[in-house]
Amino acid sequence: MIEQYLVAALSSSAVTAVAALTLHKLRSARTIARHHAETGTQVEAFEHDAARQRESIERAEQERQALETLNLDLREELAQQSDLLAETRVTLKAAVDDKDQWAYQAKKIADEAARLKSLAATFERWHEQMISLMTQNQDMHEKNQELSSIVRHVVIVSLNASIEAARAGSAGRGFAVVASEVRALATRSEELSKSYRDSLHKNDLTTTTTFQDIQAGGKMITASLGSVEALANQFQSKLH
Amino acid sequence: MISTQAKDSIERIFYKAAQSRLPREAGDSCEIVTIPQDALDAAPEARVVVLTISSILFRLLLILQFKDDAGTRDYFVKDVADNSFQEIFSEVANLCCGAMNQELLNYFPDLGMSTPYLLSARCVSHLQQLNPGFLASYKLTLNHAAQVTATVCVCAHAPIDFVADLSAVEESSGELELF
Repeated sequence: MIEQYLVAALSSSAVTAVAALTLHKLRSARTIARHHAETGTQVEAFEHDAARQRESIERAEQERQALETLNLDLREELAQQSDLLAETRVTLKAAVDDKDQWAYQAKKIADEAARLKSLAATFERWHEQMISLMTQNQDMHEKNQELSSIVRHVVIVSLNASIEAARAGSAGRGFAVVASEVRALATRSEELSKSYRDSLHKNDLTTTTTFQDIQAGGKMITASLGSVEALANQFQSKLH
Repeated sequence: MISTQAKDSIERIFYKAAQSRLPREAGDSCEIVTIPQDALDAAPEARVVVLTISSILFRLLLILQFKDDAGTRDYFVKDVADNSFQEIFSEVANLCCGAMNQELLNYFPDLGMSTPYLLSARCVSHLQQLNPGFLASYKLTLNHAAQVTATVCVCAHAPIDFVADLSAVEESSGELELF
């Protein structure tokens, strides 16, 4: 009986144990299945994330390459701009040097024009020499006038001599010839004196007009130099 | 060398200068007639005032002879105590030539003018020796009293051709203005 009880107990224990084992296995299977499912989900999520990250990495790589290209372009452009800037600096420096040179030249022209304006004094000096020449001409006019007066007197004296020779009759014939010759000489002297007077007047006119031309020409040159000086000064002030 | 219209222009410039500068009072008459060269008075004592305007292309001589009579002296010398007759004539001639110079500057930018100088009137008959391209003489009667003889002589070194436009109204007669 006891044995039956024991067998029954053992049997029931075994059944219970089998049931428990079966239940345990079922539960384990469910748990494993659930774990499998969860793991699969997680794997899918990981794979999805990995795919997204790969895409991100690819995009980042593309962006990096694009940035490198851009960087390269920018470096090239910077180099070009640097070269251009250097050229511009050289050009600017040359322009500044040229400007300074032009300003210097303009100042030199203005100074030279101002200096040459003093030529007016030279022209005036020449003109003053005309006064000296004209004074000498005037002296010659007066001497010629005196000569003309003497010649006129000689003509009168020779006429008187001719009259006296005629009164003396045959004795005065020789003297009449001499008186006639003196009158002829006086007449020639008178003509010569008139011709000399005309020459002096021509000389007066030529001297005066020539020296006036020099004086007026000097003023013309001085005025022109004044214009050059003013223009050079204007140019110089614009350059500064 | 001097074109017909340039000669006409020079003559008109002289007329304008003489009519604006020689009369002593505004409103005084100034009659101008052309006279031949051989009609000039060349008495031994007669004097003329000579002035020169020079340019690169030509030189112009203005020669004025003021008749030495009472009418001319009274007209020009009245109210002036210190200056001599000849000094006053020189000054008047200078004003007249200055007016011509001013007008010519409109057509010839480079001009200069001399100071006046007195010469014997007999010198005028020798102007042909300067080989002038334009030579003309005029008799001017101012206010029916004063008589002035003028000779304009232009010697050109290059062809001259211009037309003077004298239509502009003159603003100043050149006398001193006191403020």
